[in-house]
Amino acid sequence: MSETTAPPLPQPDAHTRAFWDACKEKRLEVAACGQCQHLFLPPGPCCPQCWSTALTTQPVSGTGSVYSFAVYRRTYHPGMPAPYVVALVELDEGPRLISNIVGCEPEAVEVDMPVQLKFESAGEFLLPRFEPASRTAGTPDDGEEQS
Amino acid sequence: MSRRAVIAGVGHSAFGKLPDQSAWALETEAIAKAVSDAGLAPRDINGLLTDPGPVQGILEGITPHFLRLGAQLGLNPTYTGSEIVGGAGSVAIIERAALAVEAGLCDSCVCVYGDSALSSTGAYGYGRGDESAFGFFGAVGLHALAARRHMHEYGTRREQLAEIATAAWAHASRTPHAQKRRELSIDEYMAADPLVEPFCRFDCCLVSDGAAAVLVTTEERAADLRARPVPILGHAQAHSLSTYASAGHFERLPAARSGPVAFGQAGVSPADIDVALLYDCFTIVVLLQLEDYGFCKKGEGGAFVEEGRIAPGGSLPVNTSGGLLAEAYGGGMLHVIEAVRQLRGEAEERQVEAAEVALVSGHGLGMNTHTTLVLGR
Repeated sequence: MSETTAPPLPQPDAHTRAFWDACKEKRLEVAACGQCQHLFLPPGPCCPQCWSTALTTQPVSGTGSVYSFAVYRRTYHPGMPAPYVVALVELDEGPRLISNIVGCEPEAVEVDMPVQLKFESAGEFLLPRFEPASRTAGTPDDGEEQS
Repeated sequence: MSRRAVIAGVGHSAFGKLPDQSAWALETEAIAKAVSDAGLAPRDINGLLTDPGPVQGILEGITPHFLRLGAQLGLNPTYTGSEIVGGAGSVAIIERAALAVEAGLCDSCVCVYGDSALSSTGAYGYGRGDESAFGFFGAVGLHALAARRHMHEYGTRREQLAEIATAAWAHASRTPHAQKRRELSIDEYMAADPLVEPFCRFDCCLVSDGAAAVLVTTEERAADLRARPVPILGHAQAHSLSTYASAGHFERLPAARSGPVAFGQAGVSPADIDVALLYDCFTIVVLLQLEDYGFCKKGEGGAFVEEGRIAPGGSLPVNTSGGLLAEAYGGGMLHVIEAVRQLRGEAEERQVEAAEVALVSGHGLGMNTHTTLVLGR
């Protein structure tokens, strides 16, 4: 794959490097405030709720729901041919992140649909993408309550 | 007579594809026209505020925009600066000019938006940091998220977004300088290929080369000037900077907070607005503003725009020159200019009868910034 057609990759910085490093080990971790226990993404220099700098990270389950989604029918980057689904996923633990819904046709994606984490490789990274959740029969749908 | 801020002059270049003119040339043309419209001369200008478009502001933003433009115009003002708050910028610099002239920091402040986005590459469709790795490009995807969520929550339909697009094109068909000079049908909208669903191209604003300028001064200074001054009755800002972390970010615009402040200053309510110039980078943004400014209840924006209510002759004409969807991408400054023309009674075949109060809004970046103006006569 040539330089120009490779998809864009994350550019980790001082605050996001731990997030991407954890992904490389197949762990999805969110930033956690040591003072007010707020969980948040993206990681940053302080807690956006109480401004504490006593920050840690917390692994999350990787389950969540589709808050909303957009189906890209036009190719914006040669390394990412359309169609594909960009979604704002709300993790069961609260934080939201932009990701992709994979493992189903774009037409099958719905708002509030339960999803589960699926790491996929891109360059040296593992990207946290999501696929429709495989719920065991009899398990009630949960975890998609909205504020 | 007082130092109360008024708009005393407006002017703009042609809009469209203008590859032979630099953005600087377009901006200086717009400024000269606004100053001349006011009946002022270059030596009278002692304030310069700029809202650089995406190419000049983001991609070429090494020398501050106001500095290069001010040098070209030979200005040594007592007040200057550039605002980088996305599509909220044009209204933001009008507000800043109003505060500056009222405080005596300057007397006659020219405010300009300009860019040559259509003749450049890379103005739009830019990546959003690490989110580029997921193919999340441009403002279009982010607004598509808001539209899809609204559809889910309230049953809003694409046919209702189509009403917003067709109203904009109908208004633009009456606007001599508009890029789109014909009407658009609901059928044509519904037949268009999807772009970033739920949007097709008619949901998205135009890309333009062009510049627009507005001259803000005091009521006192404007008294003997050429044009009838348009008073700035109210102005406010509100922002939602934390994007995904804010629970209601995609559901309620900061207009819900800036609107009541600006309406309160002006002593008006939504029912008093005769013409609304709402920032319309995407159709859904018009719908959300109709709700969040209080023209209808939350969730009822789709029903509100049906039956031509915001189209020419409707009970609330919105974006009477066609807006970003059909007139041109004027950064929001063309919205201000159209409000001034309506309030002066100079809007010709698109004149809203007895227009006395206009609402103008700006909205920018990742649905993060919002600015509100209420203008009178």
